[in-house]
Amino acid sequence: MQVVYYAFTLVFFFFAYSVLNWGLNIQFGGAGILNFAYIAFVAVGAYVAGALTAGPPAPGSGQSYVLGAHLPFMIALLCGGLASCGLGLFAGFIAFRRLRSDYLAIVLISLSLVAYDFVTNYVPLFDGPDGLSGIPEPFSGAFNLNANSFIFVFDAFSAVVMVAMWAAMSRLTRSPLGRALRAVREDQDVAKALGKNVFRLQMTAMLVGSFYAGIGGGLIVFFSGAFNTSSWTTPETFVVFAAVIIGGLGNNAGAVLGSLLVPVIFVELPKFLPQLASQPALVPEIDNMLIGALLIAVLWFRPQGALPERKATFDDLMAGQARW
Amino acid sequence: MPADEVPGGQLAGAARPNQPAPADALHCVGLRKAFGGVQAVDGATFVVPAGSISALIGPNGAGKSTAVNVIAGAVSPDGGKVRLFGHDITGWPAHRVAGAGLVRTFQLSRELGRLTVLENLMVTPRGQLGESLWNVFFRPSAIRRQERQYLARALDILAVFGLYELRDHYAGQLSGGQKRLLELARAVMAEPRVLLLDEPMAGINPALVAQIAGHIEGLRASGVTVLMVEHNLNVVESVCERVIVMAEGRTLAVGTMAELRAHPEVVRAYLGGALSAGTAR
Repeated sequence: MQVVYYAFTLVFFFFAYSVLNWGLNIQFGGAGILNFAYIAFVAVGAYVAGALTAGPPAPGSGQSYVLGAHLPFMIALLCGGLASCGLGLFAGFIAFRRLRSDYLAIVLISLSLVAYDFVTNYVPLFDGPDGLSGIPEPFSGAFNLNANSFIFVFDAFSAVVMVAMWAAMSRLTRSPLGRALRAVREDQDVAKALGKNVFRLQMTAMLVGSFYAGIGGGLIVFFSGAFNTSSWTTPETFVVFAAVIIGGLGNNAGAVLGSLLVPVIFVELPKFLPQLASQPALVPEIDNMLIGALLIAVLWFRPQGALPERKATFDDLMAGQARW
Repeated sequence: MPADEVPGGQLAGAARPNQPAPADALHCVGLRKAFGGVQAVDGATFVVPAGSISALIGPNGAGKSTAVNVIAGAVSPDGGKVRLFGHDITGWPAHRVAGAGLVRTFQLSRELGRLTVLENLMVTPRGQLGESLWNVFFRPSAIRRQERQYLARALDILAVFGLYELRDHYAGQLSGGQKRLLELARAVMAEPRVLLLDEPMAGINPALVAQIAGHIEGLRASGVTVLMVEHNLNVVESVCERVIVMAEGRTLAVGTMAELRAHPEVVRAYLGGALSAGTAR
């Protein structure tokens, strides 16, 4: 039975990372925004959604965090997504006004590091390195679930969220908006010369991506019941980037494949390797090495990723059929 | 009625008195732009009459491209005024200038490489309903209607430019000449009032030069005002009725190519011994 729970845990991470990957994909693959701070947007969603469902910190528990409000988890999840959009708005106003590509990426890395240090050291915000824990499990009141049956129900819920977010993202990608974003990615000056408001378009991609990051983060916090500063470090950023690049930048199905390959297979499978008591850090290091090797192999042999960006065709429109 | 108006006709080279639209598509006064210590544009002043094909010529480093960049809003000027059909557009950001109807091309053709040829045209029209997040989710049928109109027009334009068969190729895969054609096709799709072409003939073969010149004349016939920076003086002579010569950031002379060939300063600064060769480069 343990194996079944474990498998359903992996299925959950597959769903959650698909959502995360789409968010990065619209920013990086769609609009060409190299958002190295992406994991910070995930963290904002997780912290805000988690804290809002939990109550205020119990006196004497030693915990201290803001926002505790006993909100229903779906509202909290939405708030997490919106809070992440708030950070996106802030980052966009700093970064998109004057900066491009590499410089933009540097500013976003810096933003991520500042956010990380701030959350770690300013304990009253989200309890510093200890982070949030004991976040109430969704549906626990409704279905009288135990810790194990919760996994099944929450998997189902995550599947619904994933399907809805896939539908929305694929509509966006194929729309004229998605096309304009790709024009910005290809050449900002040309886009401007054609009358595109590049700032507004980049901001749109930033906000949509941030929302996906926030929702993904919220799902993760409800599933694991805890979130702290070890949950959003550099390796986590690397996992999402690797997943999107390996799956195929600019392809939403590629992002799904990437979420299967990287966070699920390449991060989880090495955990079955026999542990060496003398080297407890060995397995996580093997994880990173394997992902790194896979990333190099993909960039070398198939830089467009496993499922490359699809060429837009207008055949259906010519035939007068809906492409929506 | 003004004294010099021909009865039943109109003022030579000027707007009809009862028509508010100014006759000058583009009016640049005292444009100045420096990069570090280099005064690239230093008081350039010129007018591009509506409905004309005008050329901007001059030696390398005369400030032509900078002038184009200033007019199109790619760089903001240090001084001077740019008026588009009488409206002051000085210092407007590039997308706003384009929104006002002034579309430019680039010296090195800049296609959107990983968009298809057809998409390069489809992305061009301004004010697309489908570029708003709200409309994408809540007005799909309005978007679809608009997309059908754009598609029909884009396919027509591609046919005219001989790119129809290549419509599903990535623009990055086109040859140099095809990229030039695509850039011009995209400019046509944008339905500009004023088109700024930065060296449209650079690096293309003679047969294609004639073809592109034909397209530019076609654009003018449809009411577009064209200003082109160009070094191929044969093209300038045959296509442009009005030539503006720049040197050292200033406007040196304005006239027809024939008049300029008799202009001693222009000959000294630019034409030099190139008269016999027809090009100066």
